[in-house]
Amino acid sequence: MMGRTIFIDPGRCIGCQACVSACRECDSHRGKSMIHLDYTDEGHSVASLPTVCMHCEDPVAPCAEVCPADAILVTADGVVQQADTTRCIGCANCVNACPFGVPKIDLQAKLQMKCNLCYDRTAYGLAPMCATVCPTGALFYGTLDELRAERPGVQVADSFTFGDVVVQTGVAMVVPADKVQWPVPGGLPVVEINGVDVSGANPNKGGGGRGEGVR
Amino acid sequence: MTEPPQTAEPTAPEPEAAPAPAADGRASQTPAAVRRRAVLAGAAVSVLLILAIVLGSRLLRDFDSALLPYAVATVFLAFGVAYRYTVWISAPGARRLFRQGWRSFFSADNFRKAPTALPKMIATYLGFQKFLGARSHARWAAHQLLFWGCILAALITFPLTWGWFTFTSSTGDGPGYEMRIWGFKVLGFDSLNILGWLMFHGLDIAAVLVIAGASYFLWRRMKDRAAITGQRFAYDLIPLIALIVISVTGLLLTFSSIFLHGGGYEFLAILHMVSVVFTLIYIPFGKFFHIVQRPAAVGMQLFKYTSRRKDEELQTCRRCHEPIDTPDYVENLRGTMKDLKLDFDEWAEYCPRCKRVLRGNAYLTHVKKGFK
Amino acid sequence: MTATDPSRAVPLDPSVAPPGTRNFRDAGGIPADRWHADQNEETLVPTHCCFCGVQCGMYLRVDRAGKVFGVEPRNHDINRMRLCPKGINAYQQVNHPDRLTSPLMRRNRDEEFREVSWEEALDHTVAEIRRIQGEYGNDAFGLLGGASLYSEKTYLVGKFARVALRSKHVDYNGRLCMVSAAGANKLAFGIDRAGNPFSDILLTDCLLIAGSNVGECFPVMTQYLWGARDRGASLIVVDPRQTAIARTADVHVALKPGTDSAFFNAVLHVIVAEGLTDEAYLAAHTTGWDEVRATVAEYPPSRSALICGVPEEQIVQVARMFAGAGRAMAWHARGVEHHSQGVENCLTIINLCVATGNIGKPGAGYGTITGQGNGQGGREHGQKSDLLPGGRSITNPEHRRQICEIWGIEESELPAAGTSMMEMVWQMQRAEIRGLIGICNNPFVSLPNYATVKEGYDTLQFHAQFDFFLSETAANAHVVFPVTVWAEDEGVMANAEARVVKHNKAQEPPAGVRTDTWVMCELAKRLGAGDKFAFPDSRAVFEELRIASAGTVNDYYGITYERLEETGGIAWPCPTTEHPGTPRLFEDGRTYHPDGKIHMQVVEWHPPMDPYSEEYPLSLTTGRTVAHFLSGNQTRRLGALVEQTPRPWVEVHPSHGFRNGDPVRVVTRRGSEVFPALVTEAIRPDTVFVPYHWPVPTAANALTIDALDPRSKIPEYKVCAARIEAAEHVDEVPAPPTAPGQLAYPETQVSRTDPLPPTSPQGRGTAERS
Repeated sequence: MMGRTIFIDPGRCIGCQACVSACRECDSHRGKSMIHLDYTDEGHSVASLPTVCMHCEDPVAPCAEVCPADAILVTADGVVQQADTTRCIGCANCVNACPFGVPKIDLQAKLQMKCNLCYDRTAYGLAPMCATVCPTGALFYGTLDELRAERPGVQVADSFTFGDVVVQTGVAMVVPADKVQWPVPGGLPVVEINGVDVSGANPNKGGGGRGEGVR
Repeated sequence: MTEPPQTAEPTAPEPEAAPAPAADGRASQTPAAVRRRAVLAGAAVSVLLILAIVLGSRLLRDFDSALLPYAVATVFLAFGVAYRYTVWISAPGARRLFRQGWRSFFSADNFRKAPTALPKMIATYLGFQKFLGARSHARWAAHQLLFWGCILAALITFPLTWGWFTFTSSTGDGPGYEMRIWGFKVLGFDSLNILGWLMFHGLDIAAVLVIAGASYFLWRRMKDRAAITGQRFAYDLIPLIALIVISVTGLLLTFSSIFLHGGGYEFLAILHMVSVVFTLIYIPFGKFFHIVQRPAAVGMQLFKYTSRRKDEELQTCRRCHEPIDTPDYVENLRGTMKDLKLDFDEWAEYCPRCKRVLRGNAYLTHVKKGFK
Repeated sequence: MTATDPSRAVPLDPSVAPPGTRNFRDAGGIPADRWHADQNEETLVPTHCCFCGVQCGMYLRVDRAGKVFGVEPRNHDINRMRLCPKGINAYQQVNHPDRLTSPLMRRNRDEEFREVSWEEALDHTVAEIRRIQGEYGNDAFGLLGGASLYSEKTYLVGKFARVALRSKHVDYNGRLCMVSAAGANKLAFGIDRAGNPFSDILLTDCLLIAGSNVGECFPVMTQYLWGARDRGASLIVVDPRQTAIARTADVHVALKPGTDSAFFNAVLHVIVAEGLTDEAYLAAHTTGWDEVRATVAEYPPSRSALICGVPEEQIVQVARMFAGAGRAMAWHARGVEHHSQGVENCLTIINLCVATGNIGKPGAGYGTITGQGNGQGGREHGQKSDLLPGGRSITNPEHRRQICEIWGIEESELPAAGTSMMEMVWQMQRAEIRGLIGICNNPFVSLPNYATVKEGYDTLQFHAQFDFFLSETAANAHVVFPVTVWAEDEGVMANAEARVVKHNKAQEPPAGVRTDTWVMCELAKRLGAGDKFAFPDSRAVFEELRIASAGTVNDYYGITYERLEETGGIAWPCPTTEHPGTPRLFEDGRTYHPDGKIHMQVVEWHPPMDPYSEEYPLSLTTGRTVAHFLSGNQTRRLGALVEQTPRPWVEVHPSHGFRNGDPVRVVTRRGSEVFPALVTEAIRPDTVFVPYHWPVPTAANALTIDALDPRSKIPEYKVCAARIEAAEHVDEVPAPPTAPGQLAYPETQVSRTDPLPPTSPQGRGTAERS
């Protein structure tokens, strides 16, 4: 299924943001970081989650599908590129449609930008900047066999559920052996039951958000 | 990267393609049906253009047969653009935005309350392309050179090719000339004064602008790693080369007629014509198609503008309550996602950060909390 | 642009986008359109990071004009291409607009600095040295070095103090860093360095990390921890806070700050009680075991659990896990060392390893993780008040004789042992030290009890400082010498494994900037010791250093620049140029004591020096965050790092009733400051944490206590008594100081006063930036 790609293991992530700094050293978007690093368990632990583009395979790139300007190209090797600068009109459809919350947008420049798997490096056989520098291997670039050579017996999953939908991605996540058949939950929460908002019921979901947490 | 070039007066989307999608919004969307519709649209537009040429040149009386290949190329161009446009506009994302854009355009309310909004948007996005300045000042400057050069060239050559303009001299060979459009005299001028010089050398000025702009882009494409990444010869370099060839051969034509008494003129003329014809036919299929697409940016802006004027509040994230975009926009996006069978459209009501945080929480809770 | 406000006039560009998707201010502080990637011809200069003790390899990207403009990962075996955010951004210091490019001078502190020529600055400095030493004696002029200097320069600092200044008062900022471990190592093993290389971590079965936030302070070292776990090792983390490595550890011992030795004594108690000691090893290789055994008998888990505030079972669990593992290893850092019994804390960990026979074997051993890039090398060659090159003691007549011979001076000319850095500040306060040169340190941020430090420095009649950015301390000086950054000179550093690595020169220094070596040699020349300081460059110093260390425990003689470039690093001792170096110590079972034994030391726990009371019931502990380094003089100027962590915070447990971002006043007996709260369950309810990289009024070290360990003289940064209370508004972080007429590079400072404080100890998530 997977060729040479990124494997993400949030369990190893120390939240140091080396990936975030490394991303802006990438020559294809120098000075702009495309990676997201979120402290997802705010108030409880220092757990963190790095998010690179998952390079969705099935359905192929929702961001590209919703693009009104045909600006997002998917290369033959399955890499979803960032928006073609001549075409992108800056409508933000991709930003809000992406189920993983990946694309960024420069509102002044009317331009979407996102992780392109460091195409300037991977095209020459180098690993992407983020996975090269990641101090912990939370981001690993290579084949599954190469990953297993470093971490014997590791299992990965490349499917995510969002409600009823399963999205299969080019980038995979590390999962425990007993969960390898499962799609990984994508996080789309149950928020309404028969029209009743239940989003506040789960403290893990309603609370702790930035809106409430910071003020 | 930036948009290269326009060789032609941007084929305004309005008159040509507007009827097609509007008429068949709910029509079948199989590829074959789309193609059929696109061919029809192309044919219709081509016929219209031919009619316009015939009528505009006073039943070909003003038509310069030496320019026939150019005129034919423009007919092909018209077909190609209409075809591609129809195909493009048939995809869900574009179709919905297209409709919203036009709805805002025709909004009487908008027109009454903010009459200057649309002209201003057109000026900033399409004319001065302010957004390019935010990408890079140098690219903005180069693109402006290309853009205005191409506009100038197109304004001069297309009407000439179609026989819409004529320059006649009552004395037969200058210096007093008069310019006519569709046979009507518009102005008379002396080819020896500045205005006259400009009239005759408009294309040379355009060529200089285009060469300067295109050279910058070509240089950048050789040097800038951001531009080189994923660069494709046919898509990224051919257009620049084509523009430079057109402009250089055009300038050489002038050079030949002034300094060489027409030496090499024939050959240069053919080379020039071949490159122009190639470029015109290439427009709908390569990078130049952005000339046709870019007005959609205005449509998109107008749509968001209108819906922000209408709604007091922005739609906020269901979890963190930070603004996402206008409610109409989110509605429109959800519709697009449904059209595409992306059935997680409800997710569009969460901001990207909350999507990631919720996914991270779900991973911690259901998949793996720690290292193992 | 994000406005929810229902603006009457909708902007012509009505675009909005959700937070975290829309701005690129995180572009390293440099406007995105000014970052170019259009260098066709670039050179990659292999070197190492300037920051922490891991010493990751990296390439600096140098353009055709010879300027450093970027970084590229390097597959050096220490870090295998990995880098942390500090390392990735390090290169931005090199051509930073805040760099000092001309000597600054003023006659007194009320004046503004003015730019002067090198001649004038050097002459004035020497005149002041002469005046002060003439009036008050040689020892009235002090010198403070730093452990981020290349080893060559640290050697020169020691030699300059003793030979050119002829003052006994020389010390360095490693005194604030890891002298406790050094003291413990010397006592137990007779050698001051980690026993095992990092690669041994991969071979261990049980890894104990005590008082080290590896994930933030040594991020790249985390790969060794994770590698060990991938191979089945268990991980024990001892830390009052649930750090990134503690979060997923097999056991996280969240003990109360300042109780480490009680904890480790209890662990050893259990090991003894359960018969898990390696008696054969103890009998063959140690002295003092009987006394240690008798002492730990006084620390049953029931007693220590109360002292440490951890469950009894956890002590037993740690004991069984560590002693039951085939090969076990312990690494520690400032968390156990920054205490009034720092040396003893380290000794209890050494006792643990020794009692279980985990010394000197692959995957079994003991190490300390040095904080500064040259924390190891910086203490080896004589800039410490009591040491001479090669780790020699300045009180040992034989050692004194050897060094005097190498330096070509009379033994009577060699000063006696001096005092430690904090003690020197007290001496400044008492006007016993009246003049000072500081090289590569920033005590205004890094020393505890700021009020004392400021008073001490203000009392000085003359103060000169070497730095490449104007530090808070330099901004208070009379003369500032602009010197090179690490990429503008070559030299060696020794990392936490005692592996000596070579840093290479990547670009020429800017006009007006000189190397520290040049400045020290020029000063020495003017002081009449020019013949002893005829060093044209680092290589010449290194040649003398090799000879000066030959035959000592810290033997560098076999290490040459050429060998370092060939091998990627050699661990000392390395007595000959054929010797491969010594990555792992004690493999033959012998230590560097004359008897070859490990001298186990008895340790009794005592409470921290700042007593708790009703008024000050909580423990304040301080430390680092991943985006900043030490006093922050370097990292607070790099946009990406400021963006990640713009300001300090106070980490509090939710039980105190604060919400994220609330202004919280932290009060100790020495002062009070207001920080935004970072409310998290990842800290003990009786403990609050403040990171220390910022100056007053946001300085953790305005609150900490200047109590010292009696042996190592390390300040007790890691625990003092405090209370917290609600406040009105948080104290703003001041801009980093700059030369007169300059503003701190504005693009890098945009987020410094940002209203959004860090939401996690590692900083702000990428979507949490306004």
